[in-house]
Amino acid sequence: MLANYGLIGLFSIVVVLFTLVMVITPIILRFLKIVPSNPNPIKNSIFECGMETIGKTWVQFNFHYYFYALIFLALDVLVVFLYPWAVHLRQLGLFSFFVVLILVFIVLIGYIYAWKKRVLEWK
Amino acid sequence: MNLELFIPEITLAVFAILVILLDLFVRDKSWLRLVSLSGLVIAGGVTVAMWGDDSTAIFNNMLAVDNFALFFKLLFAGIAFLVILASTDYVAKFARFQGEYYALILLSTLGMMLMAATTDLISLFVALELTSISLYVLVGFLKDRKSTEASLKYLLLGAIASAVLLYGMALVFGSTGQTQLGAIAQAIQSMSLESVLDSPALLMGIVLLIAGFGFKIAAVPFQMWVPDVYEGAPTPVTAYLSVASKAAGFAIILRVFFSAFGIPEWLSMNWGMIFAALAVISMIIGNVIAIPQTNIKRMLGYSSIAQAGYLMVGLAAIGFAPAIATQGQSTILFFLASYALTNLGAFIAVIAISNKINSDDIADYAGMGKRAPVMALALTLCLISLIGMPPAAGFMAKFYIFSTAVQNDLLWLVVIAVLNSVISAYYYLRVVKVMWYGQPASGEKVPSSGAPRLALFLCCLGVLVLGIIPGLVMRLAELAGKMFAF
Repeated sequence: MLANYGLIGLFSIVVVLFTLVMVITPIILRFLKIVPSNPNPIKNSIFECGMETIGKTWVQFNFHYYFYALIFLALDVLVVFLYPWAVHLRQLGLFSFFVVLILVFIVLIGYIYAWKKRVLEWK
Repeated sequence: MNLELFIPEITLAVFAILVILLDLFVRDKSWLRLVSLSGLVIAGGVTVAMWGDDSTAIFNNMLAVDNFALFFKLLFAGIAFLVILASTDYVAKFARFQGEYYALILLSTLGMMLMAATTDLISLFVALELTSISLYVLVGFLKDRKSTEASLKYLLLGAIASAVLLYGMALVFGSTGQTQLGAIAQAIQSMSLESVLDSPALLMGIVLLIAGFGFKIAAVPFQMWVPDVYEGAPTPVTAYLSVASKAAGFAIILRVFFSAFGIPEWLSMNWGMIFAALAVISMIIGNVIAIPQTNIKRMLGYSSIAQAGYLMVGLAAIGFAPAIATQGQSTILFFLASYALTNLGAFIAVIAISNKINSDDIADYAGMGKRAPVMALALTLCLISLIGMPPAAGFMAKFYIFSTAVQNDLLWLVVIAVLNSVISAYYYLRVVKVMWYGQPASGEKVPSSGAPRLALFLCCLGVLVLGIIPGLVMRLAELAGKMFAF
């Protein structure tokens, strides 16, 4: 029991050390004059995060995206359940087949609900 | 797999789906009420038919099918039935969402039934969330400012309570290595007192569990949400929340603390003491703050906090004498049944009156004895029952719970509880006084329709039956004290 916690403790120490080393190394190298320091505007710009934004970043999205996201979420969770089930379908037998069918059916009800409530129409 | 033991729950799930589909394809919405009511009747009927001496567990010991669970399933089905009956007129306020309203009531009832049956921390949490999420939506159904605010507050505080509960479960699981209540009990019995005191994670876990459940039953100091949510929510939902949600909380507390932490005695004494302390502050704060309330829903909200305090006197008694826990449990079950009928009756009368006069202020109830004599009479009976005066059910319920506590050397707690009953008489009787002796704002009669009257009649009948011949239900509650043992 304690040995397991010891491993976790060791792991946390390594994580902290690794992070610190990664952050401090460039600073030390700069300090030792091993890395040259010639800043220019392009070097100092934000990188690795896509293009610089044009205009305001606070764009208003159409409210409909929210409904789509909700429906997507339900189907997404369903898919997460379906994958392991499909892989082991043979071993799990007929009972689990019907159990998952019920799950799919319940999600389908939600889909029909969204459809009849005109959530899927883009206006 | 014994799926036939799962029929009440399956019935409710099927009917909830049916209601949603019917709402989409049927124009006449009055069908929805009929379908939901019939679903609840079928579920309740099956539950009654399943009543028996043998108890078992299904789904890998995740859900128990015992008299205890069946008692609560019947109670929840009955409560939901009365609430739906009482909201007949009220649903006009959210006519567009009737289908969702009925379906959510059914689903939360399903969640509560699962809560009463669960014997595993995992299924406990799933059942709790099913109940809570349905209720969060129901509270915000009116879509006006107060209702939305109530819903948001309930959601945020409920989420925190769930997190606390989950943390408690994690600590209990961490120190016992089990999620199944019976297995937790075995693991704890194999521990010595010293080893538990050495690593207090288990005790911390139990305390956090009490905090999480305390939110559900609205015990002080976890009661912050009660007044605002009760005031803002649609009144039928408030009734449902104050009765069913609380009963479900007590069901789960009884099950968890009796099955998992009932033995050894040094442990049960400790949580018994915690519940005794919570009972004292719940009773005092609930009753004292109820006095200055001017809104009847807020007043009933604080009164329900106080009632949770009386119920926790019973929990403390169980903690102090686990040997006679069955007796303690049956008194709590009896109290819950009588509280359910009484509080539902009071709320149904409030729904019927407020819906017509469009006000929840106690001052506007002046002269109701002349304007709506039947409703006023019923409300008076229910308020008298809440005080705990004979011949109403509340008297017998309090009598049973207090006598159990006295037998277990908790005299000091009972003295405080009785003093609080006296305090509570003041604000309950004030409403009665306003209704019968106040000057009516207008001589106009306040009409009421058939379905709420029927629901109110059933509640009042129940209150009187439980008050005059309590032996009938008490025997049922004694049989229901038998829990599934592992």
